[in-house]
Amino acid sequence: MTIDARELNELTRKATELMSETADVPRILRNQLGDQNQLARAAEQMQDSIENFLQELRCFDLSAQAFPTDTFEGP
Amino acid sequence: MGVLDPRPLDVLGLKRLEFNLRIPEADFEHLIRTLSEARSRATELAASISARLGPDHRLAELANAAASRVENMLREIQIFATTGTVTTAGLADLHGALQSESQPVTPAPVIPSEHVPTEMQATASFAMQAGLEPEHWLPMFVHDLISQVRASGGITFEVAERLLQQRKDDFLRDFLIARRMYRTYPKLFPEIQGEIGPPEGHPIQQ
Repeated sequence: MTIDARELNELTRKATELMSETADVPRILRNQLGDQNQLARAAEQMQDSIENFLQELRCFDLSAQAFPTDTFEGP
Repeated sequence: MGVLDPRPLDVLGLKRLEFNLRIPEADFEHLIRTLSEARSRATELAASISARLGPDHRLAELANAAASRVENMLREIQIFATTGTVTTAGLADLHGALQSESQPVTPAPVIPSEHVPTEMQATASFAMQAGLEPEHWLPMFVHDLISQVRASGGITFEVAERLLQQRKDDFLRDFLIARRMYRTYPKLFPEIQGEIGPPEGHPIQQ
């Protein structure tokens, strides 16, 4: 099972969108319910989890670029 | 805002806390819509990575963990929206553990045209027998189940739970929109004016 650079870029793009589209969830809950509310804290944990995933994906992307699988088809 | 009255309950061994908290309806709608879309995206990402790298790969585990967090968050917001209750303790973790091991719902492929009338008739027939409108969530859920079984040749408890959860999401989204419409434009609903009061504090009729 493998993944090529193009697929990885696409996955990274989608994960980045996931990160940005959920970014205001913790903020809204914090503003409405307070920092210590469990929903607000759960939202922070959700955001941390997405961020961890995205960071790992970006690291994987870098290592994939170090060993490119695409072949250069000259001019 | 205001955390005002935390009252501990002990329901089936799960600790629950109730709060007199208020979140504007527009924010609820935004949160539920955002998290519903995020859940779809996260589930799709997790399925893609698991398919390419294997379910035991660290990336797949992180993707599944993120998808579970999003799903739990959506569920908590929905519970909070309908009951004003925040569930705590092991419930979310239990759901997370179950979800992370569960199979993602595979989108049902396009159903061959010859099956459509049969399924629609079956759904309509079920609704009629149950004395429900065809648009009621229960016949539609049964339709989802039948479609899933036909598409994949089987069904698991996890898939059935997810399909039900999707129906619940749709119901809640429709309910919030309808309630907002009624509050904002009550004159558009002369036939029910006076029959229903403000929904605050009232359970949702499903």
